[in-house]
Amino acid sequence: MAEQEQGSGARDPAPHGNAPGASADAWYFAVRLGDGRYAFAAPLVTEVVKLGPLTRLPAAPSFLPGVVTHRGEILPVLDLGDLLFRRGCEPRPGARAALVHAGPWRVAVVADGIDGLLPVRRRHVGPPPAGHGASEFLEAVAADDAGDVGILDMPRLVAAARARSVPK
Amino acid sequence: MSPGLPLLLFQVGARVFAAPAADVRRIGGSLVERPEEAVPDTALGRPWDARRGLVVDGGDGAERTVLVDGVLGLRAAEGDELVELPAFARDVISTRALAGFARIDEVPTLVVDLPALVRERRDGEAAPDREETNRHG
Repeated sequence: MAEQEQGSGARDPAPHGNAPGASADAWYFAVRLGDGRYAFAAPLVTEVVKLGPLTRLPAAPSFLPGVVTHRGEILPVLDLGDLLFRRGCEPRPGARAALVHAGPWRVAVVADGIDGLLPVRRRHVGPPPAGHGASEFLEAVAADDAGDVGILDMPRLVAAARARSVPK
Repeated sequence: MSPGLPLLLFQVGARVFAAPAADVRRIGGSLVERPEEAVPDTALGRPWDARRGLVVDGGDGAERTVLVDGVLGLRAAEGDELVELPAFARDVISTRALAGFARIDEVPTLVVDLPALVRERRDGEAAPDREETNRHG
């Protein structure tokens, strides 16, 4: 995981060769940011869509590159990489986005890549490391065959972004 | 059938915006009789060529001329083509002069409250367009 130190060791290594999701305790939705993988609670995601034309908003923070129309609804696009690490992914039409309910808001989340559903066993989840760039919003670190995945508290992340940007 | 809300379409830089036509007293050139009435840059950004000016009520008894790159024409928007800004976007942008969107040829086009835009500029409320400063620097 990008900027991710090794976990605390409180979790078992992920087993190899299991059928995906066969014995998952929880489902997350995984995305890629740089070299790292991050995930958030899968029930927050209503759909994965391809972005249409982006309408950019003046006077917007950089984590909000614009809005898109999806089935008649205008949705703000949230650039997760910019929000967490100030490294935006410059979303283009056709890029995939996850439509996410985060608290009272509905946003289209973009990242460097969308991996999709991730089954996680409870015993493969450990506490987040201290000092990670995104540790403020990390709930835990999980592991699977592909390595570590940072588990994000998405509603808190979106609320914090809003609070940080609300004009005084 | 409702005649719809007449919108004036105009361009600032690469972006197309709309504004209620009723907010525009007249369309002029970039040469403004009293330079203090010109509004060269706003939360919408700074125009490239500033070839036209949208003359609006400044709210203080004077007129203000918002300089734009071009006026693209009039378009009537029906009620179902007008949409509010998403709440999250409304909360985080640093201008209160964006009234919402008009769906024009299926593309959401920002509807600008021009009197609010010039008031913001006058009162120094609006931060500069953060998109460019944040994305590139």
